[in-house]
Amino acid sequence: MLKIIIQKELSIYFRNLNSIFLPLVLFFLIISIFPLVLGPEKKLLEKIIPGIIWITTILTTLMSSNNFFKDDFNNGIIEIYLTSDASVELVFFFKIIACWIFTCLPIIIFIPLLSILFDIPFNSAFVIFITLFIGTPILISIGIFGSALTIGLSKNNILAPIIILPFYIPVLIFSASAIDSVSIGLSYEMQIYILLAFLVFILPIMPYLLKYTLRFSINN
Amino acid sequence: MEISVNSATCYKNNVAIFNNINLSLKNGDVALISGANGSGKTTLIKSISGIQNLESGAILLNNIDISHRDSDFVENIIYIGHKNSLNSDMTVHENLVYLMALDSSSKIKDNSRIEKAMNYFDIQKYKDYFVSDLSEGNKKKTSLARLIISDKKIWILDEPLSNLDNFSIEIFIKLIVENQKNNGISILSSHYDISKKISNVKHLEM
Repeated sequence: MLKIIIQKELSIYFRNLNSIFLPLVLFFLIISIFPLVLGPEKKLLEKIIPGIIWITTILTTLMSSNNFFKDDFNNGIIEIYLTSDASVELVFFFKIIACWIFTCLPIIIFIPLLSILFDIPFNSAFVIFITLFIGTPILISIGIFGSALTIGLSKNNILAPIIILPFYIPVLIFSASAIDSVSIGLSYEMQIYILLAFLVFILPIMPYLLKYTLRFSINN
Repeated sequence: MEISVNSATCYKNNVAIFNNINLSLKNGDVALISGANGSGKTTLIKSISGIQNLESGAILLNNIDISHRDSDFVENIIYIGHKNSLNSDMTVHENLVYLMALDSSSKIKDNSRIEKAMNYFDIQKYKDYFVSDLSEGNKKKTSLARLIISDKKIWILDEPLSNLDNFSIEIFIKLIVENQKNNGISILSSHYDISKKISNVKHLEM
């Protein structure tokens, strides 16, 4: 069963390569707009670019996760999930992982390139990389939760981001704090541990929460 | 096995979709739910399958409420909604493999089941077609193929005959009769009067 579920999730993304490239293109376009607007002043860019990377990542994850269950809802597959005796939680877990692999991982992989382009010091680039690596699965999970919560609504394009954005704030605070700390030479491990704790807490419970939320959304 | 629908009432936005529905089915029974468009057939089917909550009343399997943790309801039912439940980015075969994986009663490695199901509904030649390229009738046949793949005995089917041609309707009815002979329970909503072709059909007019 596990192999079939993983195969299915991955093959759907591979068949829709747009879903990998378009968020990545959007990410690079937004990042590259900032120097054009703010000017090429190195010190300013050095200071604000980590924040810009994080905000752009949030926008990308919001776009990817907003309509996450839309196709499954329209095709009636959600109803199969709710009436299945198999471990649907496992299906949801791999759906979250697949979404992260194809929308966030490409961004994370390009962080070294961005750090060269914007002349970000190695230590800062490393911490941006680590915070994104730990933080984006949390963002994707919360985004998918928002998608499940608003699935029954016909016009849910804006509602889901409004609901879930406040839940992004703790991840953003600790990531920004870690990046700030490393830039002034302080220790950043504590913030990374807190992010890891968030991840360890959210990832295992999210599939169960999704099943419950989908049932609730379909009923209401 | 025995399924009972006891005084089932469902409201949506303070409007009654159905009121005080009672139905009792045991092994070998077939229930046909019919009624005009918007009469609540789909909502009742969803309620019986546990997807839709009731305002009042209960759905029981062997006298245990289906929402109760002790109920083995999902281990026994196969639900096919009117939306077909197929992923349009996957082929017919891939969809059936995936649906089989979501059904614990099916043997995952038993690919011959899938072949048999495709042959039965004459969709073998569309095996490698993407679902998005199929006609509505073939989509319906692909979704009904789950009935052959699964070992489950309680079939809850919403408009299973829609978009099917006369030949496919005949072979579907044969399948229902087969399930009846195997002591299964079939609950289906349809405008088509199957009671002329299947004996002992309990008719529920909404």
